[in-house]
Amino acid sequence: MRTRGRWPPPEGPRVAIVGSRRPSPYGEAVAEQLGLELARAGVVVISGLALGIDAAAHRGALDGGGPTVAVMGTGVDVIYPAAHGVLAEAILAGGGALVSQFPDGTAPRRHNFPARNYTMAALSDVVVVVEAAEGSGALITAEAALDLHKEVMAVPGSVFSPLSVGTHGLLRDGAGLVQNARDVLAALSLGGEVLDDPLATPHELGFRLPAPRDGILSHLSDVLALNAAEIARKLQLPVAEVLGRLTALELEGAVKRHQGGYVRALRRGKERA
Amino acid sequence: MLGSVDSCVLAGLEARRVHVECDIGRGSEPAFHLVGLAATTVKEARERVRSAIKNSGLEYPRTRFTVNLAPAEMRKEGAALDLPIAIAIVLALTRRSAPPNSAFLGELALDGTVRHADGVIVAARCLRALGYERIFVPAEDAAEAALVEGVEVIPCATLAAAVNHLLEVETIAPAHGGVAQIGSGPDTTEHDLAEVHGQDEAKRALEVAAAGGHHLLLSGPPGAGKTMLARCLPGILPPLELAEALEVTQVRSLLGELPRGRPLDWTRPFRSPHHGVSMAGLIGGGSGLAAPGEISRAHHGVLFLDELAEFQTPVLQALRQPLETGRVSITRAGGSVVYPARFTLIAATNPCPCGWSGDSVRACRCTPAAIDMYQRRLSGPLLDRIDLQVAVRRVPVEHLASEPRGEGSAMVRERVVAARARQLDRQGCLNAQLKVARLRQVAGLGPEARRTLERWAAQRGLTARGFHRAWRVARTAADLDASDDIQEHHVLEALGFRLQDVAA
Repeated sequence: MRTRGRWPPPEGPRVAIVGSRRPSPYGEAVAEQLGLELARAGVVVISGLALGIDAAAHRGALDGGGPTVAVMGTGVDVIYPAAHGVLAEAILAGGGALVSQFPDGTAPRRHNFPARNYTMAALSDVVVVVEAAEGSGALITAEAALDLHKEVMAVPGSVFSPLSVGTHGLLRDGAGLVQNARDVLAALSLGGEVLDDPLATPHELGFRLPAPRDGILSHLSDVLALNAAEIARKLQLPVAEVLGRLTALELEGAVKRHQGGYVRALRRGKERA
Repeated sequence: MLGSVDSCVLAGLEARRVHVECDIGRGSEPAFHLVGLAATTVKEARERVRSAIKNSGLEYPRTRFTVNLAPAEMRKEGAALDLPIAIAIVLALTRRSAPPNSAFLGELALDGTVRHADGVIVAARCLRALGYERIFVPAEDAAEAALVEGVEVIPCATLAAAVNHLLEVETIAPAHGGVAQIGSGPDTTEHDLAEVHGQDEAKRALEVAAAGGHHLLLSGPPGAGKTMLARCLPGILPPLELAEALEVTQVRSLLGELPRGRPLDWTRPFRSPHHGVSMAGLIGGGSGLAAPGEISRAHHGVLFLDELAEFQTPVLQALRQPLETGRVSITRAGGSVVYPARFTLIAATNPCPCGWSGDSVRACRCTPAAIDMYQRRLSGPLLDRIDLQVAVRRVPVEHLASEPRGEGSAMVRERVVAARARQLDRQGCLNAQLKVARLRQVAGLGPEARRTLERWAAQRGLTARGFHRAWRVARTAADLDASDDIQEHHVLEALGFRLQDVAA
């Protein structure tokens, strides 16, 4: 095994957070929040340095001040995707590590990634899946974890979203339900079972839902994109006006563009300096 | 024995004067010499002219004679010199001179019929500018030539008729035409917005594009109705103005695409070249002198590029100059020509290679890297010049019937016409063509509107070009609203049509 950075990581439980490379804003927010909370609780967050859920989990863990480990499907000297060079540097600077079972210089190859997923499961105590469509690589990690007798947990999503098919399948087959970081900590026997009202959890976890000051927001979902025309019809308003109001909300970071439409943003976008 | 007449050859939308001289010698050996840098089509005139003269029952020289095309250093192309060559020979034999300030154009058939020539209206316009008062043209092109005011058009059905007119045996009545005779055609729109179910966002974008002359990108899965929407654009544009129609007619005339008998058409051109189109096909080109391409055929109309990402990159890059200036200048071996190319671009693209990214029913099978690469092919300088971008979503078949139809094209066109009139009154051009300095002058932003636009620009890292483009679209939104000031909601609407600005 080739490594860069601090290896082995500090003592402590290890949790892998994996999921779609093209998540919804909801999935991305959940992965980032889980990474942050788990890192704060002293958990080493493991993921695969891929786009989407993986990156969100790494970023969350770094924000939470914890070391995070990227298990790579390329050589440790080949950052893939290349756009994650900055993230890889941040992981190393944050006391984490890049690790790979492949020799230096190995380029990204389709058939190497399932093996990487297996390694990721082997290195972790618990695997949490956030948004995985049917046939997603995250499900390979979950299967590997089951083979290795590791705990598999999943975050539920919208029943309308194709990205929920994989995770809901896991839940139906007995995976642990993850509504927040405490569910994961409980599975690690680091806290009590969470039995409180699931509807209250987003607030406790620190999600900031924008105040419903605009009638448009109540028509938007976290996951399913609606376009201006669809909202305009519901509100019986001209499409030009609705488009303008959506843009105003977008400027404030209360809504995001997603798949040709708009969804509610769960975390406020950072203003660029 | 000398005879001479004037004619011209075309170089793009310009005509160059050609003086055709014939000298009949005394030698006993009959021979026809053609000099003066004639291209193949002109050299072949010898055979056509000989047969046409003989079959018209006219005398043909029995001695050696020479036809010279002046100026000698200019290359001459095209069959329209047939008629002037034949006339010059006949005049030399009959020792007559051509009427003053007259020019001749036309191709000859072997039986002496005068055939259609391309670009007669262009020639007529340029010859009038050169001081000619009378032009002899093929009879079938007379209506086209008569669109040019201030020049007498003599329609020639046969060589014999033209000769009889010149010898004053039997005069030909000049063609009366002018523009006045051609009323505006039937006001039919082939595709009506009322036929498109739903898609209100894209319809609004079309309205803004039509009102301000902005270019538009439609992005969405296959079957979302992108092509249908694009085809609706000509129907919500006002009919061509006379000056515009004449420009459109000239380009079509050069290409020989004018319908006979109805040379002036008031409908806006709609061109949709296939994505395999070559550089020469889209921009213009060919050997010798460049011929107009699709962008010039779409002048004053709509150029629809479906599957934008499938076009060759160099071809798309070449669109940048015409998009900015409304004209294209092409240099080939035969010289440089400038063609008009002021069109509204509508581009359509799938969101990803398989087309289904973002669809509510079918799953997309593309990897993030593939989508990234696909979108990168589109990004950059070309997208930066497209003011309006809108995502089109597929309406599931079972919902189609319940989707409201919305307004018809006629109603939308009324608003578009009013908004265009406001712009022309205020600044003499459409908003999309406003230069930055003029934009500042005539399209002041209120404090609220300015703050919003600046905030977006800072948040999304807008280029100066992007900033001004959003500003122009906001001006158009205000014009559609019949508002003198650009208000904040106009800016917000304009920004809503900027898909390319991804949040940092």
